[in-house]
Amino acid sequence: MGDWSGYIGLMLDGARVTVELTVLGCALALPVAFAAGLGRLSRFWAVRALALAYIEFFRGTSIFVQLFWAYFVLPLIGFELTPLQAGVLALGLNVGAYGAEVVRSAVQSIGREQHEACVALNLTRWQGLRHVLLPQAFVVMIPTFGNNAIELLKATSVVSLISLTDLTFQAQVVRSQTGSTAIPFLTVLVIYFALASAISFGMKTLERRMTRGLDGIRH
Amino acid sequence: MTEPIIHIDHVTKSYGSFTVLKDLCFSVMPGEKLALIGPSGSGKTTILRTLMTLERIDSGVIRVDGDYLFHMERNGRLVPADEAHLHRMRAKIGMVFQLFNLFPHKTVLENVTLAPMLTKGVRKADAQRRAMELLEMVGMAGKANSMPAALSGGQKQRVAIARALALQPRIMLFDEVTSALDPELVEEVLNVMRMLGTQTDMTMLLVTHEMSFAHDFADRVLFFDRGRIVEEGPPGDIFTNPRNERTQTFLKKIIAAGQRI
Repeated sequence: MGDWSGYIGLMLDGARVTVELTVLGCALALPVAFAAGLGRLSRFWAVRALALAYIEFFRGTSIFVQLFWAYFVLPLIGFELTPLQAGVLALGLNVGAYGAEVVRSAVQSIGREQHEACVALNLTRWQGLRHVLLPQAFVVMIPTFGNNAIELLKATSVVSLISLTDLTFQAQVVRSQTGSTAIPFLTVLVIYFALASAISFGMKTLERRMTRGLDGIRH
Repeated sequence: MTEPIIHIDHVTKSYGSFTVLKDLCFSVMPGEKLALIGPSGSGKTTILRTLMTLERIDSGVIRVDGDYLFHMERNGRLVPADEAHLHRMRAKIGMVFQLFNLFPHKTVLENVTLAPMLTKGVRKADAQRRAMELLEMVGMAGKANSMPAALSGGQKQRVAIARALALQPRIMLFDEVTSALDPELVEEVLNVMRMLGTQTDMTMLLVTHEMSFAHDFADRVLFFDRGRIVEEGPPGDIFTNPRNERTQTFLKKIIAAGQRI
């Protein structure tokens, strides 16, 4: 039974990889979501088409397949990626596509009267977006971004298929070495839940901070 | 003889099959205070929104301060204006909206300083000093650090007026600025406008349902109906001795609804 501490260590190593994938995946997904989401609202036909094609492709195909492409197919055309890089790329682009629709719909949810105030005050399109529309839209995005981040966390488990030693991968290792199924999978369950709760809590805190003052009270 | 600051020349605009402006022609002289009245759907708000470039026109020409609003001259021909031209033209015009359209995520002071800093490159300290003067003028200096959500409708509208003035427009457009206010708050906004009318030489166009205010404030009244001006003249003539049948009917309804003129 002395082995259990070693197995716990193994699982925590796995958890660290999962956290790393989640953080890096989100770090990629966020700018991609803004680029594609704002691209959908562009004045230029070509930019809108490009953004739409990206979003529909990554939402419409499986994350498994995307991961396998990143890891097994890209090397065939000269892009050699480590498992971690492939994992971050696939996760970031996949979740970024969902995030893009969040960005687009949040910007569009800001009333037309705010846009008209920007025109009347002679702000350029970009100035209006940057100083008026996006700060208000961002508050609308936060809860859904929280969902997206949790989705991304859970989707990291697919990287075990390209032999990245994440939490799910390590649980399988422990299971095969101990013959115990319930304990490693219960541990994994608890760790995923704890990580998701941490994301949830962080997002709620951020949302509370960002909406302060909008109800009539300055921070 | 001075040139008109606004010249609207055979302007037509439709929303689908509904023609909201029909071959409209009129001019406004610099410094003139103009009241646009008429039933809803008559096109009076559309003309303000068009001048602010929030709406485009289908045909005709608008000139503001000597320049074409929606056109520019290229090789002797008129071509549609590009964004840079519209940007230059908008700098001459300010607008105050029925629903205030303040930026809810910014303080009162930030609402007033944002545009001068961004569009004119005014330094923050200068923008703030100027903004405080304007807020003082509209009686809102004490609320400079409040968020818009903490203000009453009348206070919001006074801030919105200060915000538009901060860009020092030559022309101010007021689109039913008291229509969304509780009755007891209307007067504080009208007082600010009276003061602007007497203390500045800005050209002011207002769409309003406050007939008694229009009567006292305006140099000239345009009565709109179904996309056309059916009668115009000094307020004394329009309000006390309207010649057009539709103007008469409209004013009767207004008086029946309890307004004094």
